[in-house]
Amino acid sequence: MTFKLNIITVSLLAMSGSVVAANFGVGNANTESVNMDKYQCKRCVSATGYSGSVSLLTGYNSPEDAHAGNALSSDEEGAIAAISGDVRYLNDTGYKASMQAHQLGMDNGFANIKVGKSGLYELELDYQAIKTFEAGDVRSQLWQNDGILTPSVYPNQFDLALQRENSAIGFSFGEGVYNTFVRFSQEEKTGHQSASFVAPSPTNFGLPVDSTTKQLDAGASLGGDNWLTELNYFGSYYSNNIDDLSLPYMNDVYSAAPDNQAHQLSLSGQYQLDRTVMSGRLVTGRMIQDDSLIQVSGNPLQSWDGQIDTFDGRFAVTSMLNNRLRVGASVDHSKRDNKSSSWEFTQYSYNSLSGAFKQNVPQDIERSTYKLNASYRLASGYRVQAGFDRKEIDRSYSEREQTDENNLWAKLSISALDSFNINVKASHGVRGGSEYEVNELTSSEDNALMRKYYLADRTRNAVELKLNHSPLSWVSIDLTGRYAIDDYDATIIGLTESQDYGYDLNISVQLSKGISAYGFAGQQWIDSTQAGSQSFSSPDWQANIQDEFINLGTGISYSGLMEEKLTLGGDYLFSNSISDTYLDGSAVTNSALQYGDYFAYNHSVNVYANYALSPKMALKLSYQYERYYDTDGAQMGINTVPGLTTLGELNHDYNAHQVMLSFSYLLR
Amino acid sequence: MICRIFNKVLIGIAALACVSLSVNATPWDKLTGEQLEQQLTEKFTQGKYSPKGADSCLMCHRKNEAVMAIFDGAHGAMNNKQSPMAGLQCEACHGPLGKHNKGGKEPMIAFGDDSKLSASAQNSVCQGCHNDPKQMAWHTSTHNLEEIACADCHNVHSAKDPALDQLMVNDTCTSCHLKEKADMNKRSSHPLKWDQMTCIDCHSPHGSMNESALNKPTINDTCYSCHAEKRGPLLWEHAPVTENCVTCHNPHGSVNEDMLNSRAPQLCQQCHAPDGHASRVVQEPGVDAFGGGKSCLNCHNKIHGSNHPSGSLFQR
Repeated sequence: MTFKLNIITVSLLAMSGSVVAANFGVGNANTESVNMDKYQCKRCVSATGYSGSVSLLTGYNSPEDAHAGNALSSDEEGAIAAISGDVRYLNDTGYKASMQAHQLGMDNGFANIKVGKSGLYELELDYQAIKTFEAGDVRSQLWQNDGILTPSVYPNQFDLALQRENSAIGFSFGEGVYNTFVRFSQEEKTGHQSASFVAPSPTNFGLPVDSTTKQLDAGASLGGDNWLTELNYFGSYYSNNIDDLSLPYMNDVYSAAPDNQAHQLSLSGQYQLDRTVMSGRLVTGRMIQDDSLIQVSGNPLQSWDGQIDTFDGRFAVTSMLNNRLRVGASVDHSKRDNKSSSWEFTQYSYNSLSGAFKQNVPQDIERSTYKLNASYRLASGYRVQAGFDRKEIDRSYSEREQTDENNLWAKLSISALDSFNINVKASHGVRGGSEYEVNELTSSEDNALMRKYYLADRTRNAVELKLNHSPLSWVSIDLTGRYAIDDYDATIIGLTESQDYGYDLNISVQLSKGISAYGFAGQQWIDSTQAGSQSFSSPDWQANIQDEFINLGTGISYSGLMEEKLTLGGDYLFSNSISDTYLDGSAVTNSALQYGDYFAYNHSVNVYANYALSPKMALKLSYQYERYYDTDGAQMGINTVPGLTTLGELNHDYNAHQVMLSFSYLLR
Repeated sequence: MICRIFNKVLIGIAALACVSLSVNATPWDKLTGEQLEQQLTEKFTQGKYSPKGADSCLMCHRKNEAVMAIFDGAHGAMNNKQSPMAGLQCEACHGPLGKHNKGGKEPMIAFGDDSKLSASAQNSVCQGCHNDPKQMAWHTSTHNLEEIACADCHNVHSAKDPALDQLMVNDTCTSCHLKEKADMNKRSSHPLKWDQMTCIDCHSPHGSMNESALNKPTINDTCYSCHAEKRGPLLWEHAPVTENCVTCHNPHGSVNEDMLNSRAPQLCQQCHAPDGHASRVVQEPGVDAFGGGKSCLNCHNKIHGSNHPSGSLFQR
């Protein structure tokens, strides 16, 4: 009680007078007595010339499973080689260049080159390759060529992996008051991903991916002492090089993602009036898709005039009313106006044309968000924040055309204690909206008790504690704990409740100048409950989904060994993702309580030794080990179930190794 | 024996603590943040800059590697007129020397974890020059409201600013964002743990005029910048997909495949309960087409929307 009174007294005293906040900007400096002609900078160190390092990497890769390529940057078995580097150049007149490369030559790597004159212009070239591996050596009886999926007795073997290669060129020019830039990039995406068609029984297959996305951005900005304005254009052009896919005996079983483009023009600005800052932005955009439509009986169009016009507007203001109180507010408005035309198209009923027509429904979505917040410093090191957010969404052709969500939050931050920083946050949110109606246009007569979770009434309560403790100058401990519960109180069928809670702990220690170590541990649990009705009436089954995640890691780095020549280090990481589903209810006849295994765990070890051969040369030897196991009860053999063709069991169970030796040459 | 080793370790730890404390101790350590700020403001107003610029500072500080590393980066460049080293040099950021060099009893503007100076006072130094469009939303950003100092993420006394290097930026962000650090290691996530993607591919740490400090006006616009094939517009849209990608996905990572909030069929059944197959309980995975293979997506594979004239049920 005494403590509370003290805080209130201190805060009342504080409110009675305000102090001007410090502004140490160089523009405010009192330089009357400065004579920079006398600055000789004799003790300064010139950084002109080349600096940095170039590394050649070579090693042995043993992935065992293509999935290991994610961690090892290559799924190749055997010798691997790559080049990395980080080189900078600067001359006396201010011309500079930098080049960074990372694992160039492997499936995942990047290179970036910048040349220009400091504070005037810069040319940038960028290249990045990212390959993500889902599964290796997947087999399918279907061979794709020119849009035809031809069945064969000889299996088609491929990796479910996607490779992105992005190349970009950019140029910027400006002198502080004004700046301009233009940047063009092109990304090629190739590979295979898992997909499925119905003809008439479902068949999983490897969908070939070959597409190009071009991006053109340009902008100009102008600024003064207390204002800024910027005009930008963003254009994106997607083209798919894979056609709609047909079987020899059935046309167009899988439609391709259509070519499309999107354009946005953005005007934004900021104005500062003493300690009040206002910012705003208007973005107008258009998304266009008029690719040729598949010609089938009952399709009245050659191509559809898909067009979405978007508008995004925002105005925000924040003001330090005095040295203790800050208030802020913002308004956002976003509109997605679907200008596409609406027609009737014949629909399939499984395989044969049923003759049923259906009209496409171009949905409009409009959102408004209002936010108010205040932050008040109770005393030195004690601060409270509180805010109110309201989100309104209007959507056409929906079961619930309007939803609104009000969220109230408060936060207490304590940094006054010598070695502790404490943050506690709590929030309470309620979502409601217009009457929930079953809409035949969109949901084909759903159970009247169903409330789709993204539209349903929801009460969300959450608390979070963040703690930072530095018991000694060389030890830092961070702890985060959180709990959130979503209660869908008007839902009888659908998602009814979800709880998300967990903690994360991180400890870093600097044991000496050369020895640092860390350890972390975290767990998260997400428990969700949903109800269903296969009798199309009241709930007759429930599913309780229990997700659990564990994450542990530790590492150490020991430098300065052997007369500052040797650094030894290692890192270990363990993660385990588990999702258990339990079914219950009168419709459930299966005696097994659990729905089936669904988990993935990973041990990752990396140890290294870095040895300086000379002041200019260094060798690094590293070893990486990946143990990965995942299982999914839904995975099944290619023809285990009559009428369903899968890509087989794609679970992983492997031990992968990589030994890498790198030679680095230091330029300075 | 164990006790003896333990005692030695304890003594070692205590000794290290004493050393580290004594190294960091300065005469102005006893000042409160407000007192320090007031004193520095007075010094700043008086403007008693050193007669020789950096040479005055380096007389004492040149043996400190961290100090000298300023010359490896842009802020130490002497041939760029916008660089502090081409102007007031060290004092451009650390304020006028005053009597700091006379017995070392006057404080200078200091940055980082050990500085008692408020984040806004520290940041005012940086903002004196960095008032460009990248900072346009800083004042209303969460990081500003949470009183994060520029120096909490950036290091200008270095050849490489950890916040600007693709191989270090994720470590910089996750030193505070612990949950997101853990999320990277879930069964499915974007390739952040190997630094192939970075947090700043989607978020602007300086704040943006968008939800969750995203780089693009909406969540979906952010996703489309890499997943343009899902942008459409498509003839047959799946309403929750069009409205918000995070209705079904968690882009930070999930214990489910494909960063899904739940897996099929349960995820689909959280919205679909018609008088037909979609409402039936799937008793067991891997025994039929409803719970095996790709579950609901065995047939409704174009779940992100279809451009097939007959694709209203996302089967084509």
